Amino acid sequence: MSVKIRFFARFRELLGSDIMTDAAAGTMFTSLITTVAKKNPEGYAAIFDENGAFHEFVILMKNGKRIEIADAATTPVVDGDEIAVFPPVAGG
Amino acid sequence: MFSERERERYKRQMMLFGEEGQERLKKAQIFIAGAGGLGSPVSLYLAVAGVGTITIVDRDVVDQTNLNRQILHFDRDIGRKKTSSAKEKLQEINPDITIHAIDVKIDETNASKLIGNANGIVDALDNYPTRYLLNEVAIAKEIPLVHGGIRGFYGQATTIVPGTTPCLKCIFPKPPPQEVLPVVGATAGLIGTVQANEVLKYLLGIGELLKGRLFIWDGIQAHADEICVERNPACEACGSKAKKTPAREKK
Repeated sequence: MSVKIRFFARFRELLGSDIMTDAAAGTMFTSLITTVAKKNPEGYAAIFDENGAFHEFVILMKNGKRIEIADAATTPVVDGDEIAVFPPVAGG
Repeated sequence: MFSERERERYKRQMMLFGEEGQERLKKAQIFIAGAGGLGSPVSLYLAVAGVGTITIVDRDVVDQTNLNRQILHFDRDIGRKKTSSAKEKLQEINPDITIHAIDVKIDETNASKLIGNANGIVDALDNYPTRYLLNEVAIAKEIPLVHGGIRGFYGQATTIVPGTTPCLKCIFPKPPPQEVLPVVGATAGLIGTVQANEVLKYLLGIGELLKGRLFIWDGIQAHADEICVERNPACEACGSKAKKTPAREKK
């Protein structure tokens, strides 16, 4: 099945913009992002901590709806889903 | 009433919203938190538009490393208080408005008082803890908070209208770690101009604000995106869990 991942800001800089990915049925949100982010160690470190958990400031969305970090590991993705992952942009 | 000079100055925009609109701008008070990368374009555009009273707060001194983006400040201002530099430039660009430039660090003890009776708050800050304070005051006073953030070639903006839209904590519940951020002046110019435009529309009561919409700018791709954002009923700032603290008391 095909899922679109959209990174924004710093995450996009490190991992690219619109990524179409093939995922096996039953893949969970966190594992999908983990797999994609691991392609760039710096990108992975920007999104995940040393225990492999999302940094608490990371914003996760699926089809325009917020996914809480605590729920991401048990939230399945399905064919056609559009996922957004982004940090708060802080500079002024 | 407008002087002949004001009529001439605002002629091209009064073609859009008339004397009544211009009068609204003249009577308005806007609070700008920060006289840096975002605060520069925001304050300049609000000043030339004729927003009657602008309060701008910053506690920093102009540094050479600011000058790639903070267009209120010139090379000759290095070492000078940003508030002093800002007041001079803004007053020079429009002598018919009132500028209050306050050299202080915004904290929980002074935020509400500093914002006073302002009609709106512009977030031109560089850190989330102080942004959350502005968010609290905006909720308490029921006035809009126009948020902006920049990093590198990327930026974001949204307009928070308490009671209607998600608040800043609904959208970004946790602050990112503080770091020295890379940034180009053009990103600050673009996002700051979006923020100034939001303030003008709000004061004039025209158009569509960035309500419940996070505007995201990617300057590398020259691409703008929009993400719909929703209120969090459990939000600790505006939801049912919100505590009544002194900062939340109405003005």
